[in-house]
Amino acid sequence: MKKYQLGEFEEIVMLTVGILHLEAYGVSIKKEIETRLSRKVSVGALQSALIRLEDKGYLKSREGDATEERAGRPKKYFQITALGKKAMEYSKSTRNELWDAIPKMALSLKIAG
Amino acid sequence: MKGKKDPPQLLLKFFRWFCHPKLRSSIEGDLTELYNERLEEIGKRKADWKFSIDVLLLFRPGIIRPSEGYQQINQYGMFKNYFKVGIRNILKYKVFSFINIFGLAVAMSVCMLIILMLADQKSYDQFHEKKDRIYRVLTKIKTSLKPNASSPFPLAQAIRSEYPITESATQLTPGPGGDVMYKEKSVEMRGFFADQDFFNVFSFPLKAGNKKNALASPHSMIITSNMADRLFKNEDPIGKTVDFTNRGLNHLMGDGESSASPWGSFTITGVVDDGAFKSHIKFDLLISASTMPALYTEEKILNRTDDWQQYSYTYTYVLLNSKSNDNDLKDALNDLAQRKYKDFEKLKGLTLIAQSLPDITPGIFVGNPISFSLPIEVYYLLSVLALAIMISAGVNYTNLSTARALTRAKEIGVRKITGARRRDLVYQFLSESVMISFLALMLAMVLMNFIKPAFKGFWVNQFLHFELDQNLYVYLAFAVFALLVGIFAGTYPAFLLSKYQPLQVIRKRENEKPNKWGTQKFLSTSQFVISLFFITTSILLYNQFRHHLAIDYGLDSKHVVNIKLQGNDYDKVANELVKTPGVINVSASDYLPATGTQNGASLKIAGSEKDFIQHTVLQANNLFTENLDIRIIAGKNLPSSQNSKYILVNRSAARRLGFENPSDIIGQLIERSGSSENLEVIGVMENFRFRMPSEQEEIAPLMISDKPSAYRYANIRFVATDRAEFVSRLDEAWKQIDTSHPLSYKFYDDQLAENNQGFVDIVSIIGFIAFLAITIACLGMLGMATYSVERRTKEIGVRKVLGAGDNTIALLLSKSFLRVLTVSVFIGAPLSYFVNNLWLQRFPNRVDFGWGTILTGAFILLSLGLITIGSQAFRASRNNPVDSLRME
Repeated sequence: MKKYQLGEFEEIVMLTVGILHLEAYGVSIKKEIETRLSRKVSVGALQSALIRLEDKGYLKSREGDATEERAGRPKKYFQITALGKKAMEYSKSTRNELWDAIPKMALSLKIAG
Repeated sequence: MKGKKDPPQLLLKFFRWFCHPKLRSSIEGDLTELYNERLEEIGKRKADWKFSIDVLLLFRPGIIRPSEGYQQINQYGMFKNYFKVGIRNILKYKVFSFINIFGLAVAMSVCMLIILMLADQKSYDQFHEKKDRIYRVLTKIKTSLKPNASSPFPLAQAIRSEYPITESATQLTPGPGGDVMYKEKSVEMRGFFADQDFFNVFSFPLKAGNKKNALASPHSMIITSNMADRLFKNEDPIGKTVDFTNRGLNHLMGDGESSASPWGSFTITGVVDDGAFKSHIKFDLLISASTMPALYTEEKILNRTDDWQQYSYTYTYVLLNSKSNDNDLKDALNDLAQRKYKDFEKLKGLTLIAQSLPDITPGIFVGNPISFSLPIEVYYLLSVLALAIMISAGVNYTNLSTARALTRAKEIGVRKITGARRRDLVYQFLSESVMISFLALMLAMVLMNFIKPAFKGFWVNQFLHFELDQNLYVYLAFAVFALLVGIFAGTYPAFLLSKYQPLQVIRKRENEKPNKWGTQKFLSTSQFVISLFFITTSILLYNQFRHHLAIDYGLDSKHVVNIKLQGNDYDKVANELVKTPGVINVSASDYLPATGTQNGASLKIAGSEKDFIQHTVLQANNLFTENLDIRIIAGKNLPSSQNSKYILVNRSAARRLGFENPSDIIGQLIERSGSSENLEVIGVMENFRFRMPSEQEEIAPLMISDKPSAYRYANIRFVATDRAEFVSRLDEAWKQIDTSHPLSYKFYDDQLAENNQGFVDIVSIIGFIAFLAITIACLGMLGMATYSVERRTKEIGVRKVLGAGDNTIALLLSKSFLRVLTVSVFIGAPLSYFVNNLWLQRFPNRVDFGWGTILTGAFILLSLGLITIGSQAFRASRNNPVDSLRME
């Protein structure tokens, strides 16, 4: 049984929220991912990921101020929770373990092949 | 500025609708922010596009709000509950439910009848493939208020050739009407001349024959399948040769004016399937217009090929090409009228008006129509009457529900305390009223099955041909109508009842007195005022009708039967009929006095300087006056030599021509306008009515002369005997004279009674409306009385215990209702007197409209009202007080 569930895109979102620290909300997360990873992110995909992460308890949110360019709608800022941090660490460490377990030969062969 | 920068509103609305309410504002903020940035970078169009994609990609589980939970589940559940509570309420208060449903149903059935009538009319001429491009040209002369359906003969040709906006134009010229004969068999048919473009414009379905050439060659004839069945039975009609004798029968079912004239033989080139369509153009036969030149040369019909002045001769229909619209046609017609009529002093200002085909039925009132139909104005009038009834019934519902607010107060309070918002209560009451209105709809459908045959049986319907079929659209219209009625009737109580404060109504319910019922009283009073108006109007109309029935025509119509000559020689007919047992005498005339037809002539004393005076002319032989018992008061009767020089005039003609003493006019020479030969007055008749009673009060001047070629009827006086037996004897005799036509007879007194048939229809309609109005008003009052008795049960009990008598209590209970009735009579009586006098004063041969009629109306109203209240008041006053006081 998996201890922490974290999908690939979810992990990216978590990491980006971490990078942005206190400035993480819908649009800024979207832009950050788009510039850093040069991949397109739709608002829909991002939002549903954020909702899932919040449901799992990895992220928490607070409402920010309403600004004019958003036609009076508030920003929703996201922050990583302690559980979220654990999940990220878990996922990182499992990957590292997996990396370490790969024999050197396999990798070099693959590259050569 | 702002609008330019906004994202696509429709998509935004869509987003707001599907998005989970918790997420809505922040995501919308993101979307807006992105949109605004993109607007700067890549322009509005691309930003809109990307916005749309974003919104569509957001449409995914997790973001879409749940379909259950949140609000929805509550509402479905609540509606189920409303329905249940509604049904329980209907069943619990059976009297009120019955009053509401029955009242609404009665009113609805009348409205539904009108919906049916309109649907029936709307189904006319729907089968024409090019119906949106077909127009009828109306002519309107300056001095006339209403346009004429007919137009000048050269019009179609002019439009066709001079204006490229038209694809085609066709005209239907009345004229043919007579007997079509095939192998000794003859069938009477009426119809038109139609040109070759007829089938280019219209899409009348042909059962047999070819549309392309059916009307091409001269002496071609198209008949309807109904007529074909009668004439040819099982033979194939196409290519058969028939003989046609024109008797000038009018296309509007009227009698013709000319005597029989053979038009030669015709070839049947087509059979129109007359069961397959409904059209405002009604015909039995169509004759190719190319036959007309031959008839001109034989002088059988008038040549009007270039006659622009005779504007009531033919019916012109124009087919526009697909690129033009009605404005083009309007311009063309204005231009045409201007050019053609600038030289005619008398017809200057004549306008040609385009009327599109769908606007013809139901359409505006036109003169010289091609077929009878109810003008749209009548529908407006009927709709207003039906709506008045409907509103009255709706008011009953509103009244009763509002009055019964106290009964429902506890329920409202409990609902509010358990969390119902005002909106929910409004929904509840509205759904209840819609439910009642749909129940009423079901009852109305049943009621309508009784009204419909009665309506179809009306005398006028033989001209109007209402079929009143019900189809899906009609049912849909009924359902929408019921929904509207429900909402309309339920709105006021819904908003009023939902306003109650929960604590107050629960705590103070018992102490609260019914409010003053100000609105209810006002509405109830107006219902009774309207009822009184309709009651007096129908009594008045009925009196007027009786007056017309009893009118003395001044001639003896009893034991007289009139037979149509149908083109046979009068002398031959008379000789044969006189031999028939039971026949006393036979005379001849060209039409029958007082049945709607009359011809005119302008007369003056020969050589006098005075103006011509308009007279009615009747052609009859010397036996006519004797036969109908018209007294000769001076001079003598027409000579039997059939000399058309001698004339009879009536007493009023003698007076109008300047002879106060009738015997002075005997021997005077009379000049007839447009005729060079003078006439000589040989006798003066006593005045008798030769017009319908609804037409004129004073008896107008009349002259009778004897022109045998004009005879069209034989008037037969017979011995008082069994009518059926006498007719069979006449039939025997007729067969000796004419084998091809069946005997066509009418008893004169029946014919005179028929004059009032239109009146019977109006009396029935107004009487029915009066009946509905008073029924609904009484139902409303019954409801209010029942309710107020129910509310005061305890009070009555206490009063009785303290010694009040039955009568005192009945009076106490009915006092406020009596006041409503009295006020209604005081307002309604003068109102109906003055309004009815307005039309009555213009009516010829009118009855006295005294206060007697008003009093009768008021008496009917009061007695019905009193029975209504009394039934409740006495029931309550006779209750045993023990029962009511034990209720606690």
